[in-house]
Amino acid sequence: MTSERTIEMNVNGRDYSLRCEPRRLLSEALREDCRLTGTHVGCEQGSCGACTVIVDGRAQRSCLMLAVQADGSNIETIEGVGADSETGHPVQIAMHQAHGLQCGFCTAGIVMSLVHAHRSGISRQDVTKEVLNGHLCRCTGYVNIRQAIDAAWVELEDNE
Amino acid sequence: MKDLNLYTGKRIARRNDGSFLHGSGQYTDDLDPADMLHAAIIRSPVANGTLIGFDVADVPSTATVLGPDALAEHVVGDLPVVWKLGGQWQERTPLLDTHLRYVGQPIGIVVAASRALAEDAAEAVILDIVDLPIVVDAKEALAADAPLLYPDSNSNVLAAFEAGDTADHIEEVFAAADRTLLTTIHIGRVHGVPMENRGLVVVPSPSGSLTITTSTQTAHAVRDVVCEVLGKRQNAVRVVAPDVGGGFGLKDHVYEDEIMTVIAAVVIGRPVKWIEDRNESFLTTTHARDEVHEVEVAFDFDGTLRGLRVDAVRNAGARFSIFGGGPLFAAFGVLPGPYKWDAIRGYGRLVATNTMSTGAYRGFGQTQAALVRERAVDLVAEALGRDPIDLRVQNMIRPEELPYGTRTFIEYDSGDYPSAALRAAELIMEPAWPEDGKVRGVGYCCYVQMTGIGNSDTNRAIGLDIGGFETADVRLEPDGTVRVATGVSPHGQGLETTIPQLVADELGVNIDDVELIWGDTETTPYSAYGTAASRSIALGGGSAVLASQKVAEQIRQVAGTMLEASPDDIRLTNGAATVAGTNVSVLIRDVAKRASQGFGMPEGVGPGLHARHAYDPTSATFSYATHACRVAVDVATGEVVVEDYVVVNDCGVMVNPTIIEGQIHGGVAQGLGAALMEEVLYDKNGQPLSSTMLDYQVPVSASIPDIRIEHMETPSPFTPGGMKGMGEGGTNGAYACVVNAVMAALPDVDNSTLHTPLTPARVWEAAQKKKQLD
Repeated sequence: MTSERTIEMNVNGRDYSLRCEPRRLLSEALREDCRLTGTHVGCEQGSCGACTVIVDGRAQRSCLMLAVQADGSNIETIEGVGADSETGHPVQIAMHQAHGLQCGFCTAGIVMSLVHAHRSGISRQDVTKEVLNGHLCRCTGYVNIRQAIDAAWVELEDNE
Repeated sequence: MKDLNLYTGKRIARRNDGSFLHGSGQYTDDLDPADMLHAAIIRSPVANGTLIGFDVADVPSTATVLGPDALAEHVVGDLPVVWKLGGQWQERTPLLDTHLRYVGQPIGIVVAASRALAEDAAEAVILDIVDLPIVVDAKEALAADAPLLYPDSNSNVLAAFEAGDTADHIEEVFAAADRTLLTTIHIGRVHGVPMENRGLVVVPSPSGSLTITTSTQTAHAVRDVVCEVLGKRQNAVRVVAPDVGGGFGLKDHVYEDEIMTVIAAVVIGRPVKWIEDRNESFLTTTHARDEVHEVEVAFDFDGTLRGLRVDAVRNAGARFSIFGGGPLFAAFGVLPGPYKWDAIRGYGRLVATNTMSTGAYRGFGQTQAALVRERAVDLVAEALGRDPIDLRVQNMIRPEELPYGTRTFIEYDSGDYPSAALRAAELIMEPAWPEDGKVRGVGYCCYVQMTGIGNSDTNRAIGLDIGGFETADVRLEPDGTVRVATGVSPHGQGLETTIPQLVADELGVNIDDVELIWGDTETTPYSAYGTAASRSIALGGGSAVLASQKVAEQIRQVAGTMLEASPDDIRLTNGAATVAGTNVSVLIRDVAKRASQGFGMPEGVGPGLHARHAYDPTSATFSYATHACRVAVDVATGEVVVEDYVVVNDCGVMVNPTIIEGQIHGGVAQGLGAALMEEVLYDKNGQPLSSTMLDYQVPVSASIPDIRIEHMETPSPFTPGGMKGMGEGGTNGAYACVVNAVMAALPDVDNSTLHTPLTPARVWEAAQKKKQLD
């Protein structure tokens, strides 16, 4: 065991100063130290994507990153997405309307990846064929998540 | 009874999505009570051995270790097996045992300030184990010289049973038929893989009572077993299911490691959390299936199906799971499917091996029954050169023949099986096949699913020692808010939306005024199942309808008094009680306000507006569907792509078609996964080879095509409201449908033996072995 380090992170616009062991995962720091439990851990191995958050503008598996690696980073989690709007981000709205979630456990990670892709202007086809395949969902069979992507991307594509 | 139907049958968006979409859901691991400690489980590293030493000398003093002896002081009984079959000797399974029979078997528990520290401490425990010989395969475990899992017993057979027709009758039918065919079907071992692993937080109180928050489908059944094995009174244990991230049958009972966590919290006197990691889940959360079926079908040259005979061996794992051999028993029950047969017979054996237990998983044997039967039917069609749908429809029970008693002592209720089959065939054939040189095939599966299982005495008669009823408690608060407490326990099925849809219509109130209360032994009526076995809408919904009807009658009575009208003339719509044909009305919330104070109550009503109804159904309900899909097979690599998928489904009255379609989508994905990619494997030493999500392949989006669904709607003659259960149907249909499509794409391949999943390696290998011509 190595001694604890101090790390500074900004999460969803709020500054955090944490003391943690070097082995602590970013997912653990977010959930247990910041008490932001909307980020879920499904495999601790990078396979399932449930723990995806946005770190300095990039979608990342928070279980594959050590908290100390996020020192000085700006992080966005599901709690911060759409918080500035009454109805939520277009991805959140579309997921609800298309019945794109059931048990809800994988949902946060999928929403974070889709929100990142939406902001980055990734095409609907690439989101459906590439980004979504980085996530496991056991309830929906993905059919309605793809419907949600179609709906959320309509506006983006209309703007092009 | 309903005066207006505003919600039932409508595509109401789910009411509880918001918390999941914004990160405010509350799953078990999100709890963080003050002074909480974290647990790690010490598990067997071997598949068979005797534990002779448990050395904690190197464990740091900051951790607390409870080994087999310390744990045993708190245990008064072993784990029950609630489904008992004929000839079954294992009616309880050891909760603590120094005979280690599978890798991952819980031995002890370590508690420390964090999970990481608990895992560090667990690694410092030294186990001394004497190795014993290992058997992994069920067929090998049947051999006379196989190592015995239970040396006091003379074989590894945990139970053997017969179902359906007598041996004599089946012999007669087979002898009289024009022809018979034989096939062997290996059904791979699978894992349900809920996205949230198991886990619990146990909070002891100074008075000695416990609150257990756990990721379960069935809070009441967890409490039953915890109290039974620890000798606690049920009023001293509260079990709460918070948001639960999927169950699929795997979380329909309590596990040994969870009970160890309860003991640790009792011993230490502080809250203790244990959260299973993914590796533990693959090792020690119940697996499913792992069966070999020898299947023989008898038929006539004109295509008439005569008899079906199945000899099945199921790998039960190291010990029975709580549902024992139930899945194989259920499989035999629904073996006939939608067809008429002269005889059906199943012979089943449950065999102990040095692997994790196989237990309940979406379909509960009905998925395997569909594969066995639908493969047999396809082989008959092939042998006779007949179109597979044409042959199926020829043999189907016709709508006018329902209700229909099967050879397996089940009575189907209602429906139109041929129409579903013909429509599905029409839909799957509509799109033209691409002309790209790929090998393609279309597969079908027609099934009848037993859902909404009950009643209680029927359960008991078939050896299932749990009641089949569900209870709802409906009450209006003084401000008119309706609260519905139910014994079923949603974890993705959308009951928070669908049950209020039913209740709002019965009471004539706005759905926003109806709240579902579930998953807490303190606030909900007893239920032996929780949400499982495609029961929730038929029985949880049915009981909510019946309780609501009682409350509606109370509202009519009180409103009648208030409006000086006959209760029979009161209509409940849009939140008001109105005298029929007039505009004389009173708001239901004003009725509630008055009734809650007991002012001017009519004879026999209140005070208060409240009713409870325990609904024990007269019969199970039988939903059905035909699934059809088209696959492309790359014979050079063995890769299978499912290109198109059609479901024509009938689950009686639909409360919310969108939610039903979501259940079908997810079920199809799981059935497709089992058909093509999902398999739990062990090596010959019983070491798990599928212990991560990289070794065990769960379908991704690219694996699942868009699914075209059409509905039929034949009401259940039994359920109040006419609903039939359906949650497992997608899985039941997809498994056989996809397998049949792959085999249809490879008509020249020897199909006398089949191994699922049809992985690329298996498909490639099969494609090398051509049929022998007769």
